[in-house]
Amino acid sequence: MTWNRSRRLTGWAFILPYFCSFCLFVVTPIVVSLFLAFQRYDLTSQATAQFVGFQNFQDAWKDEYFWKAMRATLWFAALMVPSLGVIALAMALGMHAMAKGRNVVRAVLFVPAMFNVAVAGILWQWFYNGEFGLLNFALRNMGLPPQPFLSNRDLAMPSIVVMSLWWSVGGASVVLLAGLQQIPKSMFEAAELDGARPLAMLSKITLPLLKPVLLFVILTNSIGAFQVFGQPFLLTRGGPELATRGVVQYIYETAFNNYRMGYGAAMSWLLFLVIAVFSIAQYRFMRSSAQ
Amino acid sequence: MNRAPLRFGKVLNGLVMSLIALAFLAPLVLMIMTSFKPEGEVLNPESVIPKNWTVANYQYILNWAEEAPFLQWLRNSLFIACSVTFLVVCFSSMAAFGIARLKAPGSGVFLSVVVASMMVPGQLFLVPLYLLLSKLHWLDTPAALIFPATAGAFGVFMLSSFMRNMPEAIEEAALLDGCSPAKVFFNVSLPLCAPAVATLAIFTFIGSWNDFMGPLVFMDSVSNYTLPVGIALYQTSYYTEYGLTLATSVLATLPLLIVFLALQRQIIESMASSGLKD
Repeated sequence: MTWNRSRRLTGWAFILPYFCSFCLFVVTPIVVSLFLAFQRYDLTSQATAQFVGFQNFQDAWKDEYFWKAMRATLWFAALMVPSLGVIALAMALGMHAMAKGRNVVRAVLFVPAMFNVAVAGILWQWFYNGEFGLLNFALRNMGLPPQPFLSNRDLAMPSIVVMSLWWSVGGASVVLLAGLQQIPKSMFEAAELDGARPLAMLSKITLPLLKPVLLFVILTNSIGAFQVFGQPFLLTRGGPELATRGVVQYIYETAFNNYRMGYGAAMSWLLFLVIAVFSIAQYRFMRSSAQ
Repeated sequence: MNRAPLRFGKVLNGLVMSLIALAFLAPLVLMIMTSFKPEGEVLNPESVIPKNWTVANYQYILNWAEEAPFLQWLRNSLFIACSVTFLVVCFSSMAAFGIARLKAPGSGVFLSVVVASMMVPGQLFLVPLYLLLSKLHWLDTPAALIFPATAGAFGVFMLSSFMRNMPEAIEEAALLDGCSPAKVFFNVSLPLCAPAVATLAIFTFIGSWNDFMGPLVFMDSVSNYTLPVGIALYQTSYYTEYGLTLATSVLATLPLLIVFLALQRQIIESMASSGLKD
C-alpha cells in the first residue's frame, strides 16, 4: 500500500495498546518465572528472595511427590491422547459417511465443549459417586455390585479420562471432519473404480491425506493433557492417595497453599521442558512416518 | 457392483451415529430434568422426567445469597467476560491493522514473537502472574482477570493473517480520498474483518466465561468469585444435595448454550478450520 513513512510510524500507535499488554503480561511473567526458578522465595518466611542456583531443580529431582505427580500426569496423557485420537477419528469418519443429519450430530457432539469444567465436574461427580451416584444406582438396579469409580486408586484415573473424553471428543472430531471434507471426492471415486476395498481406501488415501490435521489434533490435545488440572481437581482433589494429582495441581498447591514460589516456578519449567520434548518428538515421528 | 450392502452400511452408520449423539446429550438432559425434581426423587430416580415438577431448587439458590451469592457470581462472570471480549477485540484488531495494513517498521518481527509466545503453556504463567498482580494490588479484583487476558496472542495472529489475505484496494482507495489511518481503520478495515472479529469475540467470551484456573488462583473473597469457582466451592460444601448443585450448573451453562444455539454454525466452523491452516 502507498502509506508513506510517517503513516507507517503511526502503525505503532495502533499496535501500542496490545504491545504494552503483551510486554506486561507475557514477556514480564516469562522473565520473572525464569529468575524465580533459581531463587528460594517463600512468601511465608520473612526473608526475601535469595539466589540458590540449581537447588530447586535438584530438590525436584529428589522429591518423590514431584515424581508421583509426573507419573499421574503421564498416565493421564497416555490414557487420554490415544483414546481421544481413535474415538475422534471414528466419529469424524462416521459423520463424514452420513448422508443427512451430519450437521446435527456435529453440533450435538460439540455441546459438551460448551460446559465449564466446574459444571462438567459436578455432573460427573454425580454420575460417579460411590453411594448416591447415578451409575451405581443403575448398576444396583441391574443386580450388579456398585463400583468405587473415584475412590479406588486404579479406577479413579480411567474414570477421569472417560469424563475428559466426553468433554473434548466433540472438538477434536469437528476438526478431523473438516480435514476429511477437504479430501477431494474424486480420489475416492477413482479408487472405487479401481476396485479398492473400504479398508484399503482408509489406509491408503484417507489417513495419509489426513495426517497434517491428525498431527494438529494429537499435538494440541497432548499439550492440553500434560497440563490437566480441573478434572482431577474437581472430581477427586487428586486422590485417592494422590493417585490422580498431576504436576499442575502439585505446582498449584506448592505455590498457593504452601507459598513456595521459587520451587513452583522451577517445576513449571520442568513441565514445560517435558511438554516441549514430547511435542518435538511427536512432530518428528508423525512427519517422518508420513513420507 | 452390488450397491445393496453399501446402502445398508449407510443406514446402520446413520443409526449408530445418532445413538452416540444421544449418549453425548444425555448428561445435559439429565442435568436439566433433575434440577426440576424434589429432593426425594433426585436420589432415587425412577424416571428421567420428574414426576412432580418443582422450581424449589432454583428459588433456594436465587434467594440464599449470603454464603453463596449466586447472582453476584453471575454478575462478576458477565462483567469480566464482556470486558475481556471488548478489550481483546479492540487491542487485537488495532494491532493487526498496524501490522498487516500500516506495516509499521519492525512489526513483522513483533508478530513472530507474539506467535512464538503461543507455544508457552499457560501453567508457566501462574506463579509469576500471581506475584505481578500482587505487586499491582490487583489480586482479588476483576482487573486480575481482565487485563492479563488482553495479552492473548490468538486474536492478533488470526486477525493479521485475515487482513493479509484480503485485497488492499478498498483501503487504498479510501486513503487516496484523504482518509486518515484511524478513519480507514474504523470505516473500512474493521467492517471488512467483521466475520473474523465476530469469531474472535465468541471464542474470547467462551474462554473467559469458562476460565477456572484464573479466578481460583487470583480471587480470594467469595463475593468476587466468578461462576465456575463459585459453583465448584458450592459443590464441595453441598455435594450430596444434587438438586441444588445441578440447578446452579444449569444456570451457569444456560447463557453459553443460548449463545451456542444462536451461533452454532459459526462457532463449529471456526473451530473446525483451526486445524486446516498451516
